[in-house]
Amino acid sequence: MFELASFNIGGHELFVLPFGDIVNYFTPYTAALFIFALIFTIICIISKPERQLETAFGTDAIYAKEVTGKDLRFRRFMAIACGIATMGAVTSGDIFNFTLFVSMVGICIIGIVASVKYKHVLNAAFNYGIISMLATIPLFGGAAITLAATGTLSIWELSAMAPAMPGIAKALILVGVMGEGIAPFYAAKAELFRAPGAPYVIMIHVSSLLMFLRVVEIMLAV
Amino acid sequence: MAKVENLIAIYSVIVVVIAALAIVSLIVSPIGYEDTQLYPKHINTSSPLNPYDRGGVPFGTTEVVAQYPQNSPYLGYVTAYLTPLSALMAISNQYLGTTIVSHPGGIIDEILYNTRGLDTIVETSILFTAFAIASFLYRREEE
Repeated sequence: MFELASFNIGGHELFVLPFGDIVNYFTPYTAALFIFALIFTIICIISKPERQLETAFGTDAIYAKEVTGKDLRFRRFMAIACGIATMGAVTSGDIFNFTLFVSMVGICIIGIVASVKYKHVLNAAFNYGIISMLATIPLFGGAAITLAATGTLSIWELSAMAPAMPGIAKALILVGVMGEGIAPFYAAKAELFRAPGAPYVIMIHVSSLLMFLRVVEIMLAV
Repeated sequence: MAKVENLIAIYSVIVVVIAALAIVSLIVSPIGYEDTQLYPKHINTSSPLNPYDRGGVPFGTTEVVAQYPQNSPYLGYVTAYLTPLSALMAISNQYLGTTIVSHPGGIIDEILYNTRGLDTIVETSILFTAFAIASFLYRREEE
C-alpha cells in the first residue's frame, strides 16, 4: 500500500480504492452505506415495479396503474444510475468528487420521475429541479473555498490537519447537499412519491438519505 | 412548507442567509489563501506557449505536483506532450498559446486525465444523464 496522511477516518479503514489523487475509502461506516446502496440497486435491477391500485368511489371499479414498455426501461435505467452515483458519493475520498456525485444524484432523481405523466408529480419534479440547480452554487462554492483555504481536496489530508476546513465551506456544502437531497423539504418529495413504480421511486428517498449520512461523516472528519 | 410552489422561495432564503453569514464572517475573520496549493499555476510570459505553458521535456521527467504521486506512475507525460505541428509552431513564433490550434497536453489536461481522472468521468456522466433525460422527454412528445 502507499502512505496516507491518516489511517483513521470515521473508523478503521478496511480497504482503499485509489484513482490517482482521489482515494476512495471503505470504513465500517461507508462500507455499510455502500452495501445498502448496492443491495437497493440490485433490487431495482431485478424486481418488477409495483402496481398501484385505485378504487373509484361509489362503484366496483378498480384502476391499476402499470409501468410498462419504454417508460419502465427508462425509469429502471435512471434508478440504476442514481444507485451508482450514490455508491460513488458514499465512498468518495475527495471533497470535489463527492460534490460531483451529489449533483449527479440530484439529476438522476429528476430523471426517475421525468417520464411520469401526472401533472402534480411533474410539477413537484420541476420545483425540485430548480432547487437542485440552485444547490450546485453553494455545493461547488464550498469545495472551491476548501481548496483555496487549505490547498488540498483530499479528505485524507484534510482529516489529518483537522479542523482545517473553514466553517463557511462546511455550511455551504451542507446547504448544497440539503438542496440536492431535498432532505427537509418533504412536501415536494411526498408528491414525487405518489408516482407509480415503487422500487424506482423509493430510490429517490434512499439516495438522499445515504448522501445525508455521508455528508455528516465528512463534516465530522474534516 | 406544505405547498410545493413555496419550496424554491424557502430554499433560496436559506441559501441567501448562509451566503450573507459567510460574507459577514469573512469580513470579521478573513480566510487566508493557502500558498502551498496542490494545483499551482505559474505564468511564464516569455514562453511561446504563454499562458498555457506546460514546462518539461516531452517523454522526459517533468515535475508535476500531485497529492499521491505513487498512484500516477505516468505523471508528467501529458503535460509535456506536443504534437509535431504544435512543436513546429512553438519554435517558429511566440503566439501558440493564444491560437485556437487544438493540441493535447498542458497542466489542465494532466489534472483532468491523470491525477483527477475520476472527476472528469463523473462530470461527463452528469452531462450524459441530463442528455438522456432531455432526449427521452423530446422523443416521447413525438409518439
